[in-house]
Amino acid sequence: MATDTDSGYIDGFGQVSRTTGTIFRYLLLAATMFGIVTLAVLLVYVANDAIRPLTADLGWHLTFFLTLVVPTAVVGGYLARRNVPALKLGGMVVGMLAVSLLFSGGVAIVFVDIIPPLTGLSYVVGLLVPAALVVVLTKYEQQIPFTLRVAATGAAFVLSLVGVPGYFHSIPEIVRQLPVVPADWMILTLVLGGVAAVVVGQYVARIREDTTAGLAAGASALLLTGLAAVVGPALGVDANAAAVVTSVAFVPTVAYAGGAAVTRERERIGLLLAAVVIGGSLVGAAAVDALGFAGPQSWVDWQFLTSAHSGSAENAGLYPAIGGSILLMATVAALSFPLGVGAAVYLEEYAPDNAFTRFIDVNISNLAGVPSVVYGLLGLGVFVTYLGQPTGTVIIGGATLALLILPIVIISSREAIRSVPSDMRQASYGMGATRWQTVKNVVLPEAFPGILTGTILALGRAIGETAPLIMIGAPNVLFTLPTELTSKVSAMPLQVYAWSSLFASEDFYTKAVPAGVVVLLAVLLAMNSIAIVLRNKFESGN
Amino acid sequence: MNGTEDPTNDEMLVETDVSDGLSASANSVSRDAETVISSENINVWYGDDHALTDITMDIPENSVTAMIGPSGCGKSTFLRCINRMNDLIDVARVEGRLTLRGKNVYDDDVDPVALRRRVGMVFQKPNPFPKSIYENVVYGLKIQGIDADYDEVVEESLKRAALWDEVKDRLHESGLDLSGGQQQRLCIARAIATDPEVLLMDEPASALDPVATSQIEDLVEELAEDYTVVIVTHNMQQAARISDKTAVFLTGGELVEFDDTQKIFENPDSQRVEDYITGKFG
Repeated sequence: MATDTDSGYIDGFGQVSRTTGTIFRYLLLAATMFGIVTLAVLLVYVANDAIRPLTADLGWHLTFFLTLVVPTAVVGGYLARRNVPALKLGGMVVGMLAVSLLFSGGVAIVFVDIIPPLTGLSYVVGLLVPAALVVVLTKYEQQIPFTLRVAATGAAFVLSLVGVPGYFHSIPEIVRQLPVVPADWMILTLVLGGVAAVVVGQYVARIREDTTAGLAAGASALLLTGLAAVVGPALGVDANAAAVVTSVAFVPTVAYAGGAAVTRERERIGLLLAAVVIGGSLVGAAAVDALGFAGPQSWVDWQFLTSAHSGSAENAGLYPAIGGSILLMATVAALSFPLGVGAAVYLEEYAPDNAFTRFIDVNISNLAGVPSVVYGLLGLGVFVTYLGQPTGTVIIGGATLALLILPIVIISSREAIRSVPSDMRQASYGMGATRWQTVKNVVLPEAFPGILTGTILALGRAIGETAPLIMIGAPNVLFTLPTELTSKVSAMPLQVYAWSSLFASEDFYTKAVPAGVVVLLAVLLAMNSIAIVLRNKFESGN
Repeated sequence: MNGTEDPTNDEMLVETDVSDGLSASANSVSRDAETVISSENINVWYGDDHALTDITMDIPENSVTAMIGPSGCGKSTFLRCINRMNDLIDVARVEGRLTLRGKNVYDDDVDPVALRRRVGMVFQKPNPFPKSIYENVVYGLKIQGIDADYDEVVEESLKRAALWDEVKDRLHESGLDLSGGQQQRLCIARAIATDPEVLLMDEPASALDPVATSQIEDLVEELAEDYTVVIVTHNMQQAARISDKTAVFLTGGELVEFDDTQKIFENPDSQRVEDYITGKFG
C-alpha cells in the first residue's frame, strides 16, 4: 500500500500491485496439476489400448449415447440443480452396485474355484459351533472366571476346527463325510445368502426399529438368493455364479436402496438416477444386440478375466493372478489387521511415555518408508532361508506383504484412536471402567471406521506390490489357481511385469499389458472408493 | 448402600487384604460418623508444577460441598484426587492421605477402578458416549457387572436426573442428539445409575445456558438428599445457592478457607476470601 513511511499517512486506496501474487498462484496451480495431468494422460492412453472404444460400430456408441448417456445427463443435471443429496444417494447406489459386482466376482473365485463349496460349508459349521459357545459364555461373563472362559473358548475352537487326530474328528471332517451332500449352489445359498440375509435383516431391523420387519427382510433376502440360483440356469447363468452375485451384489444394493427410499423421503428421488443408469445400460445392451451393432474389441473381456497365460497375447488371461492377488490380500489382511491394531492400541492407550516407546515410535515411522524390495529380502531371509519354507507360496507372500504394510496400518490406526475425544475415555474411566473395558466399549467402536479406512488403503498399497513377490521367488506365470496357503502364487502386478519383461513383444505390450493394468487399477479404485465412502460417513457422523 | 454405614463397603474397594480395610473403617466410624471424605495434607505436582499444597478438609455425608476459586487454583485437581482420576495423567504425583469412609484411597491395596465404581463423576463438558440414551445409562451397570433390571434402572435414573419426560419416547436414539443441558443431565443419570456413594461434579453447568444451569442446580439440591455431592464451580452465586459447605481455593493451590457456605459468604475469616467473594480480584 502506498504509505508515507515517515508519517504513516495512507495517501490512497488504489490498486496494489498483484502481479507477483497472480504469477505465484498460477505457478502453484501448475505444480499441483503437473503430476495429476501426467498420470491422467497415461491412464487414458492405457485404458484406450486396453478397452479400444474406437473399434466399436458408430451405431453402438450412438445407441448407448441415447439410452444411457442422455437420460443420465438429464436426470443428473436436474438433481444437481434441485437436490444434491438425492444426486449423491443415486450415485452411491450405482457405485455400490458396481463395486459389489466387482467384489462378487472375487468372492465367486474364492468360494467356487479356490475353496470347494462343501469345504467352505464345513469350515463355516466348524466356526459356528465355537462361536455359539462364545456368545453363551459372554452371557454368563460375570459368573465364570476370565481364564476359564478363555481356556474353554480356545479349546472349543481347536477341537472343532482341528480335532484330535486319531481320536476325535474335527467338525469340518464330519461335515464332509455326511452321506447326503447338497448341490453346490444350495451350499452357496446357505452360506453366502445366509450372511447377506443376516446383514440385511439387521439393517432393516435397525432402520425400522422392528424385529419382525428385519426377520422378514432377512428371509426374503435368503429366498431371493435361492431363487436366483434356481432361475439362473434357465437364463444361461451358472447356478453357483447366480447365487454368489445375488447374495453379494444385488441383495445388499437393493436393501440399501430400499432402506433409503423408506427413511430418507427428501432424497428418495435420487433413486431415479440409479434406475436410469441401470435401466439405460440394460436397454442399450438389448438394443445393440437386436440391431446387430458390434461392440468394442476390448482386450479386457471375459476371456481375459477367466483364462490363464498363453503363448499368444490374444489368448492370454489374468485368472490365476487375480485369484492369487485375492488370496494374498486375504492373508495380508488376516495377518496385518490384528497385529497392527493391537500395536496401535498398546502404543496409544497403554504404553507409558518413556524413551522406549519414543524409540518404537520413531522406528515405526522409519519402517513405513523402507523400500518394498528390502521387505522382500526380509521375507526371503526369514521365511525361506531361516524357516526353510518353500519359495513363492501364498503364506510367504502374504506374510511378507503384511510386514510391508504393518507400519502403515499401525500409523493410521493410531491416528484413528488418537482422534477419539479424551472426554469419552474420561467418562468411561470415571464410571469405573478398566482400561480394557474402555478400549473395547468406547475407543475401538469410535475409532473403527478410521482404522478400517487406513487398513483398506494399506491393502491397496500391498495389492500393487511387485518387488517383494519377486524377491521371495513367486512364479511370474502360473497356469492354475493357488488353492491352498502353501501353493505357489502369482499376483496381478507380477503377471503384468512378466508380460512386459519376459514375454516382451509388440503383441504383449499393446494387448495384455494394458488390459492387466486396467484390471489392477479397477480393483484398486474399488478398494479406495470403499475407504473414501467409509471415511466420509465417519466424518459426517461426528 | 449410600446413606448407611456399611462396614463391608471397603471389601469392594480393596482387592486384597480385606481385614485392613475393615479395621480402618471401624476407626472412622468411631471418630466421626458424618465424614465421608477426609483429606490430610494432600499435595499434587504436575511434573515440577506444585498444583495443590497441603489440602486438609472433611466432607460431610449427604450434603453439597462446593469448591470455588479462580481458574487454575487446583479445585478440579482436588476433585480428581478423590477418585484418583489424576492417576491417568502420567506426570501427576499425589502425596498425602485421602480417606473415603476411613480407608486411604492412596493405599497400595486400593484399586482405582474399584474406587471409581463407588465415586461417580460428572464432567465439565457433557460427554455422553456415542451410543443410545439407554446404553449410556446402563453403561456403568454393564461394565461393573451389576445384575439388575436395566429397564427399571434406566427409568429410575432418568427420572432422578429430571430427563425422563423429555426422552422416554426415544431411549434408543443417540445420546449425542440431545441438547447440551439434556446431555449433561444424561451424564448425571449415567453417574447415578450405579448408585455411587459420592458424586463428584466438575463445573457441571459451565458449558450450559442459564435455563439448563438452573435445572442442573435444582437437580444437585435434590441429589444431596441421597448422595454426598462435591461440586466444583467458578460461579460464586451458584455455590451460594446450592451448597451446604464451601471451600475456597486461591491461586497457588492452597485451601484458604473451608466452612459453612453461609459463613463463607457473609463473614469469612480470611481477608483474601472476602476480597475474592466481593469481586475485588479473581
